[in-house]
Amino acid sequence: MNIEKLLHKLQAFFNTDKHKKRQDIEELKKVLLKLKKKERKITHSLQQTEDYGLRKHYQTELNIIRIQRKKGVEVLQQLKDPKRT
Amino acid sequence: MHKALLLIVILLLSYGFWLSDAFKGIAAGVSIFLFGMLSLEQGFKAFTGGVLERILQKTTDTTWKSFGFGFLSATLMQSSGLVSVITVSFLSAGLLDLVAGIGIIFGSNLGTTTGAWLIAGLGLKVNIATYAMPLLVFGVLCIFQNGKQLKGIGYILTGLGFLLLGIHYMKDSFEHFESTVNLANYAMSGVKGLLTYTAIGIIATIIMQSSHATMLLTITAVSVHQITYDNALALVIGANIGTTVTAIIASFGANIQGKRLAGSHLLINLFTGIFVLLFIKDFGIAVDIISTYLGIAASDKAMKLATFHSLFNLAGIVLFLPLINQQVMLLEKIFIEKRPNIFQAKYLDASAMDFPETVVESVRLESIHLYENAIHIILRTFGLYKSDLQSDNSLKQLIERNNHAVEYDIDASYEKRIKGIYSAIIAFISQAGFTWQMTQSSKLSWLREANKHLVEAIKDTKHLQKNWTRSRTSTNPVTINEYNKIAYQIVLHIQKIESFRHEIESNELPLLSLDILKATIKNDDMQMNQAIETLIRERKITPETGSSLINDSAYMRSIKKNLLKAAETLFLHGTTGAAGVEHQLALNDTEINDVIQTVDDIHPPFNSSPNRSFQP
Repeated sequence: MNIEKLLHKLQAFFNTDKHKKRQDIEELKKVLLKLKKKERKITHSLQQTEDYGLRKHYQTELNIIRIQRKKGVEVLQQLKDPKRT
Repeated sequence: MHKALLLIVILLLSYGFWLSDAFKGIAAGVSIFLFGMLSLEQGFKAFTGGVLERILQKTTDTTWKSFGFGFLSATLMQSSGLVSVITVSFLSAGLLDLVAGIGIIFGSNLGTTTGAWLIAGLGLKVNIATYAMPLLVFGVLCIFQNGKQLKGIGYILTGLGFLLLGIHYMKDSFEHFESTVNLANYAMSGVKGLLTYTAIGIIATIIMQSSHATMLLTITAVSVHQITYDNALALVIGANIGTTVTAIIASFGANIQGKRLAGSHLLINLFTGIFVLLFIKDFGIAVDIISTYLGIAASDKAMKLATFHSLFNLAGIVLFLPLINQQVMLLEKIFIEKRPNIFQAKYLDASAMDFPETVVESVRLESIHLYENAIHIILRTFGLYKSDLQSDNSLKQLIERNNHAVEYDIDASYEKRIKGIYSAIIAFISQAGFTWQMTQSSKLSWLREANKHLVEAIKDTKHLQKNWTRSRTSTNPVTINEYNKIAYQIVLHIQKIESFRHEIESNELPLLSLDILKATIKNDDMQMNQAIETLIRERKITPETGSSLINDSAYMRSIKKNLLKAAETLFLHGTTGAAGVEHQLALNDTEINDVIQTVDDIHPPFNSSPNRSFQP
């Protein structure tokens, strides 16, 4: 029993990188999801307003979120498949 | 002064003016006199840090030098009251310390006795009021010049002119009082006579605002034997006490140091008076001896009175000059400087110093405290409170509501709300040991930077305030609108930072929201400058207003950037789980610029006018 526990601990130790990677992927997915929701919300606000100034403001926000999402997707793909560049 | 009290005073004064022309003249005299005091102070301030300070430092660096300075000036000006008034304004302007000020008072007390010698010996008196007119003319001429020092001289001359004019008005208005104070009819003997005539001397000098006038009356009366010699001595003592009122009136417009000096003048003259009254017979004998030595005839009461005046003031000097430091201590106890209600640090506990983590957290919390105060100052500059950020009314309406020029005193608020806390933070950080790990040291260094950003934001607000306040009274609605736009964008930015704080609490990707705020700052700045250029081109605003707007929009950008940098350090500390991932997704400067360029390509519809729209 003790040996089994020790082996389990050793395995966990050697798999730290893998575990960290999995955790990062999960977190990144959550962030991307939140960004997607934010994008939808701002798109809705953009469609609702006629005001030029506000439209420009929402458009800026939207463009920023889109770039952030694009970067996020790239990072996610890299984490999943490090061989991809 | 409370508004109700001010109203009562105004009503009482108005009633007094209606009742008596003489009262009107006296009140006008006091007002002109006080205005002269303010002008003098203004003038002396122009020389602070320069020539005057060096001259004063050299001539008043020892008590005896101060004494000599006071003696010489009072002899030349023939008025100890005027010298003490000027000394009060020197002190208020920070050019002198209290010890030197008291030294000058002692000197001027003795210097003014030369007047009695002139009156008694030559029957002459320098009429200081005649100097008022040329002083005012030369003073105003100098004020209109460009040089700072010439302006300063102008203010000093005008101030002196107004002082003399004020005294002149007071004297003129009291002319009929002079006829009622007929000393010859009230000769009294014994202690009762001494006390009564001392009181008369005090009152007469207060009324006439000049001990010289009382001296003149006394010497004249005694020379024609209308009053007894003893009564005349008491009048001189009274005049010496009464003359301190001039400095007391002047100290109303002065700071605490000025009040202390006026208090010292009163204390010295009052206690000297009491001392001389107690030993009046001995003084009489001493005067007789000195008079014989000087060759003054025993029957020449006028000259003996002048001798008494000098001896009396000399006694005061011998008695109180060695106790000058004790006097300063006493005056500092009597006149306690009221410190404004300064905000103190709340989180910087000495016990937190034991652990690096607690030091960092204490400094962070205190910096947030400073942030809240900084926000308060910025919002108040535009007539808003923090609660307005959550108000149902739109920010635009709230800003437009403040269309009257009310200047918020940023300097006073800085002293009250920022300086104490900021200094405490800096002191706390510098006390913290730097033997810790680099993490804590660098965190503290970031926090120090965040505090600096907050102070910078307040400084920028102060620069911006000048034109913002001026814009409130502008006749051009376009100018008002542009300044409203600046205020709106700053307030909106603060509101967004508040939302950013909530996003941190609810873990709604705060780090990525920073990109939007950064882009907004750049975008707003670009739009603002384009709008100003268009307004100048279309002649909607003058190029001068345009250049002010360009400068002020730069201040706006700086305020926003500084607040954002501070907020980033202060609120993003306890990084959320996704912070590492968020960092990877955050945009760099080039990417933000690209986004702005793309959005800038969107053209406004023909029927809308973005440059004039009061929108983000």
